[in-house]
Amino acid sequence: MRIETGATHGWALRLGLRGGYIGCLNKGTQSPVQRRFGWGSCYSPVKTCCRGWCSFQTSNPVLLVLLSLVQASRSFHQSSQSLAPVPPLPEKGGKVRHGIFPEELFTLLYPKTGVTGPYMLGTGLLLYMLSKEIYVINHETFAAASIGAVVIYGIKKFGPSVAAFADKINEDKVAKAQEVKDQAMASLAQGIEDEKKEQWRVEGRHMLFDAKRNNVAMLLETNYRERLHMVTNEVKKRLDFQVELQNLHRRMEQEHMVNWVEQSVIKSITPQQEKESIAKCIADLKVLAKTTQARATV
Amino acid sequence: MMTSFFDQFASPSYLGIPLIAIAIALPWVLYPTPSSRWINNRLITIQGWFINRFTNQLLLPLNVGGHKWALLLASLMIFLITINMLGLLPYTFTPTTQLSLNMGFAVPLWLATVIIGMRNQPTVALGHLLPEGTPIPLIPVLIIIETISLLIRPLALGVRLTANLTAGHLLIQLIATAVFVLLPMMPTVAILTATVLFLLTLLEVAVAMIQAYVFVLLLSLYLQENV
Repeated sequence: MRIETGATHGWALRLGLRGGYIGCLNKGTQSPVQRRFGWGSCYSPVKTCCRGWCSFQTSNPVLLVLLSLVQASRSFHQSSQSLAPVPPLPEKGGKVRHGIFPEELFTLLYPKTGVTGPYMLGTGLLLYMLSKEIYVINHETFAAASIGAVVIYGIKKFGPSVAAFADKINEDKVAKAQEVKDQAMASLAQGIEDEKKEQWRVEGRHMLFDAKRNNVAMLLETNYRERLHMVTNEVKKRLDFQVELQNLHRRMEQEHMVNWVEQSVIKSITPQQEKESIAKCIADLKVLAKTTQARATV
Repeated sequence: MMTSFFDQFASPSYLGIPLIAIAIALPWVLYPTPSSRWINNRLITIQGWFINRFTNQLLLPLNVGGHKWALLLASLMIFLITINMLGLLPYTFTPTTQLSLNMGFAVPLWLATVIIGMRNQPTVALGHLLPEGTPIPLIPVLIIIETISLLIRPLALGVRLTANLTAGHLLIQLIATAVFVLLPMMPTVAILTATVLFLLTLLEVAVAMIQAYVFVLLLSLYLQENV
């Protein structure tokens, strides 16, 4: 049988009762996921769905009766639940003197009996009880003294460390939450810094564009000049070819002309002229030979 | 009437009202309910840390089915340890010195583990009656021995706790009486005896905590076998 219930006992119900989510008295504080899917049946410790409330399912009739009583007594609740933030607990417990006697006793007696007042009262009470044998000293007194010594020794020796341990547990809790908060803040501040840097970068962007523009212009210019150069070379080559062609023509013409002249001259030479010229050449050669001989012997 | 050392174990009643009820309800009073605050005071922080740590430690060897017993075992431990420790104060009555109370804890819980074992996994539960690797001739004898050992468990649990606490309290009373009697006659011997008493008190503090822990630990062991 499913029952909606809630209880504010922490440890009693938070440990280990088989937890199936049933329902919560404070439906308003549930999350949409919880409301829709529930928690199924699970063996893990009971979940709290809202502050201080637990829920579980059972089939034990006695338990059902008791739980229904919780619901029935709701009519006695006069004011609404105060879900407002509760005031903080005091940091330390009440001040005590000698471990047991509250400081208020001393403050109470101070105006009338001064500093030693409470001590006198204590001694007087003790002696009264001893002398009137209201408290009889017997073996239990020594047992009390013994256990008292153990307790006092234990508290004096381990008290501060236990307190420090408890404080450390709480401080670790707070430190963890604080770390989360600090990390969030740090990441946000970092985000701001990064944004500012980006903005600064944007300002310098035009310089980048100018440089790029210059680069591109230079590339275009270079390319244009190269092509111009190439065109010039090609044109020059064509023109040189034509020049060479003309030269060749002239040369060939000249050679041909020379050949023709030579041919005609050779043809024009008659055999009579040829003989005459040969005889003259021989006579010249003889003269020359004589002169050379004469020069050689001298 | 002659007062004896065993009068401290008589269940106290006043005008017909059994005061043992108050004695049993006392531990509940001493542990404040943890508030629904995030940061608590030192007492609740330590209480919470201790209970968490203890329950975690106790439930480590148990599988998930045994986790149903977490509340029972943890509260039993807190109850026993508080009652034992409070019993060390003078002029107090320790309910756990009563065999009836201890058997009242031991028998139902032990029986519950046995019935759970027999109901859910009967072969495994019966298989515990014969340890692995026993030589064949020994099997009949061993089964009988293991059955006796199983049936003796609740008795052992209850009597262990009762005997330890009763013996401790008795010893404290005896030695304190010795100190009390010797003090006018032989003070030096009395001082020696007082030292013995101090050491014994330390021992009793340890025994009080250990016996409670052993009770709960053995129950969790029995549960481990059967769940």
